[in-house]
Amino acid sequence: MTQQPERDGPSQVAVNLPELLARVDNDRDLMCELFGIFKEEFPPLLRLLQESVARGDTKRVETTSHALTGMLSGLSATPAAKLAQRLEQMARAEEMLGLADALKLFEQAVANLLPELDRYTTKAEL
Amino acid sequence: MKILIADDDRMNRRLLEKTLEREGYEVIAVDNGRLALEQLSLPDGPRLALLDWMMPELDGPGVCRGVRTQHERPYIHIVLLTSRGSKQDIVAGLEAGADDYLTKPWDSAELTARLRTGQRILQLEDRLVEARETMRFKATHDHLTSLFNRGIIIDLLARELTRTRREQGCTVVMLGDLDHFKNVNDGYGHVVGDEVLREIARRLLASVRSYDFVGRYGGEEFLIVLNNCASTQAIARAEQVRNGIANHPVQTTRGPLPITISLGVFASRDWDLQQVEEILRAADLALYRAKADGRNCARLAKPNASCDALQHLVK
Repeated sequence: MTQQPERDGPSQVAVNLPELLARVDNDRDLMCELFGIFKEEFPPLLRLLQESVARGDTKRVETTSHALTGMLSGLSATPAAKLAQRLEQMARAEEMLGLADALKLFEQAVANLLPELDRYTTKAEL
Repeated sequence: MKILIADDDRMNRRLLEKTLEREGYEVIAVDNGRLALEQLSLPDGPRLALLDWMMPELDGPGVCRGVRTQHERPYIHIVLLTSRGSKQDIVAGLEAGADDYLTKPWDSAELTARLRTGQRILQLEDRLVEARETMRFKATHDHLTSLFNRGIIIDLLARELTRTRREQGCTVVMLGDLDHFKNVNDGYGHVVGDEVLREIARRLLASVRSYDFVGRYGGEEFLIVLNNCASTQAIARAEQVRNGIANHPVQTTRGPLPITISLGVFASRDWDLQQVEEILRAADLALYRAKADGRNCARLAKPNASCDALQHLVK
């Protein structure tokens, strides 16, 4: 049986847990290992994205948001992955206008991501 | 089966690694395109590859192009893994040499099914290569002795002589003929005759170096080409070959049979001949001299002796 994600926060669920569990073949150890990698890799990438948007470095925004898209989709964090993809597309098209707003939306989508992953990890380890 | 995963995203790489290990693959994981190409260029490298599109140093399509320039390597089945799903991207990936593609996030069942398809294609390719190699062997080798056939040994001789002339070296050619072989066929039958020919072929191969050539020239005639062999060594080498046959009877289903060989020996350094036909004629004349001198011996072809030998034969 797949586990339903918790809905105790005000925001939208960031990770589609059933989909992720299916991808890892219900291997919770592997899932926690992936969360661990994500928690290490995600913050520096987010910082790099914020700095690149602030500098208007579209090339860097494109590569960083591409990397984030891959990570987030791998984690079944689909809403955030879509927003990262939107940033990537805007950067590739050099659409400077709206890049900062798109980044804000992305930041909101990922705000609860790390705490949510911590909750899943704690639950999985119990 | 070995599979290469190339993805700079550590999380995806780990997920793929685990998924494929569960499927029984021996996984090699790298985090950039240059390392991927290095792995795929190794002689015993993986023949299945899952490549991310965007990677540091060399992207997925770049790896595909690199792999496809290596024509000597067995075919590698490449699947591009990408979050870029537009038709243009897909066409570009396939044009670069990818065989298939999957978009991120991938479905594990689809991923493994596509890799199994890749394996089936590789197995088919292996069978085709094996069939081609079998046909090539049959076209170039004598079916009874597995030595080079007449056409190929003459081609090899011509090639070797060209090289020798260029390098100012020496090629030694030996034309051998089994003595009284007709008596074996007549007395014991062709099955035993074939057994003798197979064993003689084995002994001839054993008596030369790995880079020399041995071919079946005719029924019981053999042509041996010794690459880069000094003319002063020619007769000594011929004696080794002769002794390798004469010193031990050939074991057949009708018992042991004493077999000997006569050899005409030609050393290219001593002559100014250019054409293979002329060289073979000179070796043939020397072989006739060996036969005339009582058989089971080797005679060296000498430029000034060819007329004498012909006259001797006419007599």
